[in-house]
Amino acid sequence: MLKYILKRLALSLLILLGVSLIIYVLIRCMPVDFIENKIAAMNQGGATIPEETVENMKKLYGLEDDSFMGILKGYFNWLVKLCQFDFGTSFKYGAPVIDVIVSKMGVSFAVAAIATIFEFLIAIPLGITAATHQYSIRDYLVTVLVMIGISLPSFFFGQILKNVLAMKLGWFPPSGLIDATQTLSGMALLGDYVRHMFIPILTVVILSIGGRMRMTRTEMLEVLNSDYIRTARAKGLKERVVVYKHAFRNTLIPLVTSLAGLLPSLFSGAIITEQVFDLPGIGNVAFKAMMEADIPFIMGYNMFLAILSVLGVLLADLMYAVVDPRVKLA
Amino acid sequence: MAIEELKKENEALPDEVEAVAAPAAEETEPHEKNVRLMSPTQMVLRRFFRSKLSVVGLVMIVSLFLFCWLGPVVYNQWGQGDVDETGKVEYTYSEITYTDENGETHTFYQVVETGKTVNSLAKPDKSHPLGTDKTGKDVFARLMYGGRVSLAVSFLAVFIITFFGVVFGGIAGYFGGWVDTVIMRICDILMCLPGFPILLIVGTLIDSFGIKGQYKIYYLMAFLTLISWSGTARLVRGQILSLREQEYMVAAEAMGYSAARKIAKHLIPNVMPQLIVSMSLSLGSMILYEASLSYLGLGAPEKYAAWGTMINIVAEDQNILQNYFNVWGPPGICIILAVLGFNFVGDGLRDALDPKMRR
Repeated sequence: MLKYILKRLALSLLILLGVSLIIYVLIRCMPVDFIENKIAAMNQGGATIPEETVENMKKLYGLEDDSFMGILKGYFNWLVKLCQFDFGTSFKYGAPVIDVIVSKMGVSFAVAAIATIFEFLIAIPLGITAATHQYSIRDYLVTVLVMIGISLPSFFFGQILKNVLAMKLGWFPPSGLIDATQTLSGMALLGDYVRHMFIPILTVVILSIGGRMRMTRTEMLEVLNSDYIRTARAKGLKERVVVYKHAFRNTLIPLVTSLAGLLPSLFSGAIITEQVFDLPGIGNVAFKAMMEADIPFIMGYNMFLAILSVLGVLLADLMYAVVDPRVKLA
Repeated sequence: MAIEELKKENEALPDEVEAVAAPAAEETEPHEKNVRLMSPTQMVLRRFFRSKLSVVGLVMIVSLFLFCWLGPVVYNQWGQGDVDETGKVEYTYSEITYTDENGETHTFYQVVETGKTVNSLAKPDKSHPLGTDKTGKDVFARLMYGGRVSLAVSFLAVFIITFFGVVFGGIAGYFGGWVDTVIMRICDILMCLPGFPILLIVGTLIDSFGIKGQYKIYYLMAFLTLISWSGTARLVRGQILSLREQEYMVAAEAMGYSAARKIAKHLIPNVMPQLIVSMSLSLGSMILYEASLSYLGLGAPEKYAAWGTMINIVAEDQNILQNYFNVWGPPGICIILAVLGFNFVGDGLRDALDPKMRR
């Protein structure tokens, strides 16, 4: 087991190396004068980027030297800094990239975590009923509804919910995270957060229920067709016991495993949803940084995402062995 | 399975049932009379068309295609960039009451002439079935032209992804060894690339090269194909690994066929069912991808229509979001229809092509 984990970790490092190389090459393809123009535009827009920061950035990525060796040297310089957790200083936000990411992560994490909980709570029972009543009206209805959910573009559905729930009905605030007109504290502040996050979370939940429900349904059907379920029925067990105690437990295996795979989406932030509702989460911040060619932030954010997804894959595989005793890692 | 259902099946499939029952009953009759042979393709088609959802999906897709490609031929008053210049001069009245120093109140009517040369944000009527947008372009026409971009780009992307996936997955699965290791490691790396943020970087990159805005989405989707073939490659490799060990491949080996022929003629056709399913399902997600990119402003400029771009307008303009659903609603509904259609068809194909699902 330990050997397997070590092997996988080594492999993960290799993958991260590859990812970093791709991201670095992409950034290096950008002409230097384009970057300088963008920085000038940012300075005009009110930001003050000290000449020193720009020079540091150029040195960090070896932007002055365009020869092959220069590019190679720049990459290794950047890589060494990366290993010391130094992602550089963001132009746009004027703070170390890591600090910006950590400070904005909370909102994105809250939205994603609450949405994931509701997604599982709603999708699993739906999947079970659809499977136990296969080819019934209930099955078709649930299937069609969640298919529509999968097919919704998040920006369009988000705008519709915003239009109806926030603007027409006025039940929830349309955008932002806090009400700027009042100063709240304690429970009132928490309530305000909840009110602001309600529609974004609703959007994410409705869009993601479908995949989870279909997964539950497929797995459940597979388990329900297996021999030991027939044995359980033949023993005269109640249908409830057969479904929830015998079948559902095995359905849980892939569901729990997929939970580990959700790790990246918990922290990475939903770019489009946050954009639609103007939530100050990490996705929104990253989008703005990318639109203005804030190179240190782009590099830092993408590496952060890559590390998360590598960890997610690794955790999912390990989880599989933990949940299912039949699986042996080698 | 319930007995009623079995009965229904029997009624639905008279030919197949006869094929089993007839030879025992009438030994003297020649078999050909009562037996109708069905090729595997026919059986798949039959199972596909028996499911209502997949037929609905197919109808949705076909009608969207007809709408987008034949629509502009029939409805040709407006192009995607044409601005309706027949603006009407409108008058707005407002009442102004003012009290002079003597304490008498006077009431005036202020008449403001709002002359606009462009017929913008028109309500749906005879000349504009879905009204016009903020710049006076016909929404209905733009819907059709926008669909062309979205559908064509997604189709191209999926075919290229499948091509790459089949080639790399086929090579990896067939040859194994270090070739397999290298290709699979590349797949691992591509799988861990954060797709959307990377595309945003590429969007900036394209800007920096000064490429014309109308071609931007093609470059973006081309890049997307380069980084997203890993899923298909894995699918093909896994399938080929198991097929490689079967007897008919030993036979092909004994016949002395070349590796290319064995891959192309004997292995790939057996991977086709899974490939077709994954293609039709990824068509839906490609349309969503394209629309999201356009929505974020990475697509074509406003002059050229795309479904995502047409919805983009509501991000800045609250007035349109609240009062002009006819401007931003239809493209969203079209996206949903397209994605839903491909998902239905993909689902139906999966059931139809699954040999375990003989019902």
